[in-house]
Amino acid sequence: MNERQDPKTLKASPAGTPTPLIDGPEKTTGQAQYSADFYSPDTLTGVIYRSPYAHAEITELDVSEANALEGVVAIVTGDDCSQTFGILPIARNEYPMARGRIRYFGEPVAAIAAVDEKTARKALSLIKMTVKELPAYFTLKDAMAPDAILIHDDKAGNIEREVHNEFGDVEDGFEQADLVREATFKCAEICQTHMEPHASLAEWDDERQHLTIRTCTQVPYYVHLMLAHTMEIERNQIRVIKPFVGGGFGTRTETLNFEIIAGLLARAAKGKVALHLNREETFLTSRTRPYTEITMKIGMTKDGKLTATQCHALQLGGAYAGYGIVTILYAGALLQGIYDIPAVKYDGIRVNANVPPSGAMRGHGTVNSRHAFECLLDEMAKELGLDPVEVRRRNLLIAPTETMSGIKITSYGLDECIDKVETESGWKKKAGKLGPGRGIGFACSQYISGAAKPVNWTGEPHAVVNLKLDFDGSITALTGAADIGQGSSTIVAQSVAEVCGLDINKIRVITNDSAITPKDNGSYSSRVTMMVGNATIDAASRLRDMLVVAASEKLDASPQDIEIVNEMFRVSGGQDEGLPFQEVVEAALVDTGTITVKGTFTCPPEFQGGKHRGGAVGSTMGFSYSAQAVEVSVDPDTGQVTVHDVWVAHDCGFAINPLAVEGQIQGSVWMGMGQALSEETRYHKNGMPMFTNMLDYRVPSIIESPPIHTYIVESIDPNGPFGAKEAGECSLSSFIPALVNAVEDATGLRYTELPVTPDRLVEALAKKQHRDKVAAARKASEGATS
Amino acid sequence: MTELLPEFTLLQPGSIDEAIAMYADRDATREAIRYVAGGTDLLVNMRRGIGDPETLISLNGVADLTAVTENSDGSATLGAGVTLAVLIEHSTIMDRYPAVAHAAREIAGPGHRESGTVGGNLCLDTRCVFYNQSLWWRQSNDYCLKYKGDICHVAPKGDFCHAAFSGDLAPVFLVLGVEIEIVGPEGTRRIPLLELYTGDGMDHLTLKPGELLTAVHLPAEPLPALYEKHRVRGAIDFPLAGVAVALSGENGKVETLTIAVTGTNTNPFLVEDLDGFAGSSLDEDDQTRLAEIVQKQVSPMKTTLVQPYGRRRIAGAMARRLAVRLLETA
Amino acid sequence: MGPTEKSPRLLSLTLNGRVRHDAVPDNLLLLDYLREKCGLTGTKQGCDGGECGACTVLVDGRSRLSCITLAAECHDKEVETVEALGASGRMSALQRGFHEKLGSQCGYCTPGMIMASEALLRGNPAPSEDDIRDALGGNICRCTGYVKIIEAVQAAAEELA
Repeated sequence: MNERQDPKTLKASPAGTPTPLIDGPEKTTGQAQYSADFYSPDTLTGVIYRSPYAHAEITELDVSEANALEGVVAIVTGDDCSQTFGILPIARNEYPMARGRIRYFGEPVAAIAAVDEKTARKALSLIKMTVKELPAYFTLKDAMAPDAILIHDDKAGNIEREVHNEFGDVEDGFEQADLVREATFKCAEICQTHMEPHASLAEWDDERQHLTIRTCTQVPYYVHLMLAHTMEIERNQIRVIKPFVGGGFGTRTETLNFEIIAGLLARAAKGKVALHLNREETFLTSRTRPYTEITMKIGMTKDGKLTATQCHALQLGGAYAGYGIVTILYAGALLQGIYDIPAVKYDGIRVNANVPPSGAMRGHGTVNSRHAFECLLDEMAKELGLDPVEVRRRNLLIAPTETMSGIKITSYGLDECIDKVETESGWKKKAGKLGPGRGIGFACSQYISGAAKPVNWTGEPHAVVNLKLDFDGSITALTGAADIGQGSSTIVAQSVAEVCGLDINKIRVITNDSAITPKDNGSYSSRVTMMVGNATIDAASRLRDMLVVAASEKLDASPQDIEIVNEMFRVSGGQDEGLPFQEVVEAALVDTGTITVKGTFTCPPEFQGGKHRGGAVGSTMGFSYSAQAVEVSVDPDTGQVTVHDVWVAHDCGFAINPLAVEGQIQGSVWMGMGQALSEETRYHKNGMPMFTNMLDYRVPSIIESPPIHTYIVESIDPNGPFGAKEAGECSLSSFIPALVNAVEDATGLRYTELPVTPDRLVEALAKKQHRDKVAAARKASEGATS
Repeated sequence: MTELLPEFTLLQPGSIDEAIAMYADRDATREAIRYVAGGTDLLVNMRRGIGDPETLISLNGVADLTAVTENSDGSATLGAGVTLAVLIEHSTIMDRYPAVAHAAREIAGPGHRESGTVGGNLCLDTRCVFYNQSLWWRQSNDYCLKYKGDICHVAPKGDFCHAAFSGDLAPVFLVLGVEIEIVGPEGTRRIPLLELYTGDGMDHLTLKPGELLTAVHLPAEPLPALYEKHRVRGAIDFPLAGVAVALSGENGKVETLTIAVTGTNTNPFLVEDLDGFAGSSLDEDDQTRLAEIVQKQVSPMKTTLVQPYGRRRIAGAMARRLAVRLLETA
Repeated sequence: MGPTEKSPRLLSLTLNGRVRHDAVPDNLLLLDYLREKCGLTGTKQGCDGGECGACTVLVDGRSRLSCITLAAECHDKEVETVEALGASGRMSALQRGFHEKLGSQCGYCTPGMIMASEALLRGNPAPSEDDIRDALGGNICRCTGYVKIIEAVQAAAEELA
């Protein structure tokens, strides 16, 4: 913590104060230990044998020679695990190591634990596999071709899941419109590329038949469940510890194959196995944002009122289900809840193909649909001669309200976000007036504050937080919420400090050890601040009540008259200085000893979405909103887009930690920039990934990364902890269309593919130039003949 | 855990002669013994199972490779072991050969530039998306013509390796007309830089076994020159196309014009057929013609994930605008 | 790091202010030497070689990528890692800057970022924003968008001024 803080300047309100992360010093001094940082001489090295085929039947797998190599301690294969895994109980169709069928290039087939890496790699080269190769599909078209063989026998047409829904009357909506436009957008597959490569350290205690695993996950609870399920042991035989995690961005929101393999290897080796994936393997285990083709149709009156929208989405989901069903649902679910649209129709198809399975990346499923919508909206506004910002303003919602799909909107700060960005960016002076070669674009987005219905339904509360108060006067918060750098532990500390009237230094947060901390569903769908925050407030309120009762007895007053000021418990309105916190603690501990309290939170059923199929996806306790303007220049010679400035306003309800909120907004805006400008996966014709390194997969460097002017809008959500909502995902999606709209403003070119790389743009600009020339010539000749 | 480097013996000579002698003493095949300077490319490749030398001769302790010398005739000599970081900061280079300093600054990132050297960048191995991959990846793809395989995956029908030369310094040195010094078991030779390159992506240098590039001789009266590097990101990336132009002019008319390109072909090369620009004021037609000449001579292949069409067009456009800029200030 | 058939060499260097002598194989990378031999796991591996900057350390005061540097090449040199920057149990100005300005989110790129920044500030105590960008050009961060990293380095430079 901030050791230099002078107690006299102690903030009365920890919630709302910019607060450096409570685990920051560990990270900046090199003391923070990540999953690959635990060394001991007895640790075995694990390596994975991966398929050199994209689609094949294994006819023989011979590990005998590898097994005979001196120094090899254990080898596991698909034969050692007959249980499938997957995040959704209804869609577990993946083995940690292939059994019979291989469905993507790089899929694990076997794994080795050896005394050191050299031996392990030598052993890898001794594994012999023979296969019967099968036709493999890497594109939507090929996978959906009528004569394509099935990648999964139970998925006809290689379609993992289709979604069709319509709210309101879309046909009628389009008839009411003065302008109806439709366009198709192609968005490349992208990877999370968290800086920490995947790593697990698994330790099997053969005496006790017990597994301890340290692993880089966002969801220790799901890892725990899947380890028990796949290893066919009791949950109480497992302890899952999440050390520091070097980012996740969605990759790690489900159990990944290497975590199960580490467990299987440790058990087979009867020892401790470190399984460190390299960057190439980490890319293969990325659970990407899938390649998506979106056809968007919008109806608009000449005044810019939206009358209907229709979205058709195709996602190249990859070899296994993973989160895919949820992803394809999200692509349609968040068409609603941002603007007032009377009719919305959605058709989504997630297609299986022989590429690594995609999954939940930051902004899960919603990003590419939002991109398509905001680009088309921009185009139509300009066609109608309207200001694109004004068009958005004419279609705002009024909270409280409910979407046609049954999701409640209890707070709505989009109007304020739009106003802020319009003013700060100088929009009115710039739009359409900067060019040629320079332009500004605008877009909006929304996101959920936690999926209101957990994927794994147990009937338990959605979040549980324990607090322990002991003789030393410090409060220990125990939580299963996974801090992966977003600052959730700091939110917990601030919330306890706020409720109990204490300095944040008195709060210690212990996280993510299944032997110690209460279960939490994990860090995904931006649920932690909303759910764990509320559970923390619940726990802290109970603790405060106990302290107040103890203080009131000592002060001979009624509990409702006790107030806490600067860590002193005193009678409200009285002259006495009151009791210091430590004395109150001692009083509270008399007879009871160490105090433990529990707080819980559950999203009420009315927030858990509509009754239609898939209605739980998109349901949330609160939508966050974002508006964004991006100013660019485009080099006509090289196609290079330079982002000069970004202005972003984000309605996060209430910023419990404004410092972290800013960091989250900036990080998501910038990640949107990567998707917009430089990041994409690529597969060779045989299915080999061509991009699995950090030179060919281009995460932006600091050089081309722009200043990001960040404005926090606080709409104070009635259900959020202190009014807080989501802060870490929403602003990603508005960047991408804002950028593409800015490129249009600069060049007149509407580019419908992502990413907008220089080679693509220079080609498109050349074609446009040619088209313009031909058109001008035609016009001139028509003029001459008329 | 990093991927293991193959086992090798590291020799650390203190002088050029000692290095040459060590190479000769080992009596090894060319594959089994390598010189290494910064190692920013070689060690990465070795980690990916490209090359398995028994011996590495480190040049980092060779003091006579690290000097930047201003000669009495006004020329300058760069030791091949001068690091890119030194090149950027050196007053002689910044003042008299600013395009060299600029090109050096465009290379990779600061950490690479602290290790990477002039000689290393000139000798940089050619690159290809089918080559700069892990051992497992290349194995699974039956390797490639450049290393251990039989076909070039970029152009499977031919028997030519298209891996692209991707050093940033070479085009600037080429337009400045530098000569390089090579020391080997049979003595010292001095050749124009252009002759260092074979034009074959597979075996791209004309160095004979045991030979070492030791110095670069910069001319006494360099022509004004500029370098522009095209890449997707502002740092780290290798050039997708890199163009250097040197131009002298008078009264708004071109006297001499030289253009060199990197990143698009198997070698860095001087663009031909530029004689016609003498006397040109580079009006719009001449600019278009200039760009077209460059576009015709660059031959980017699918050695990167970035499409050749754009790289070709961009190379031409960069040459055009660099020439115009130089003429404006001539 | 595996066993080697070749006999190791004796590597002598100054690591974080202390002289050390270790037997190391010729093919040992500085990164593995620091992490596995010396137990200094603050230095991170983020890629398969020279692509991300997470492993940046100082060798004789200049930033170097320890994942593509041989340990044996650091003989008689001074190597510094993120663990050495603080003094008397307190964070250095840069470490404090990264902490207080939130230049570090997940923290994985942070040691490399801080060491690259340290190299910058030692040579240029009052860097411009462009100087900071240039110095960190080889260090990828996936969390912050770099905005607060620049602020962190600026704050440290101000504190040291």
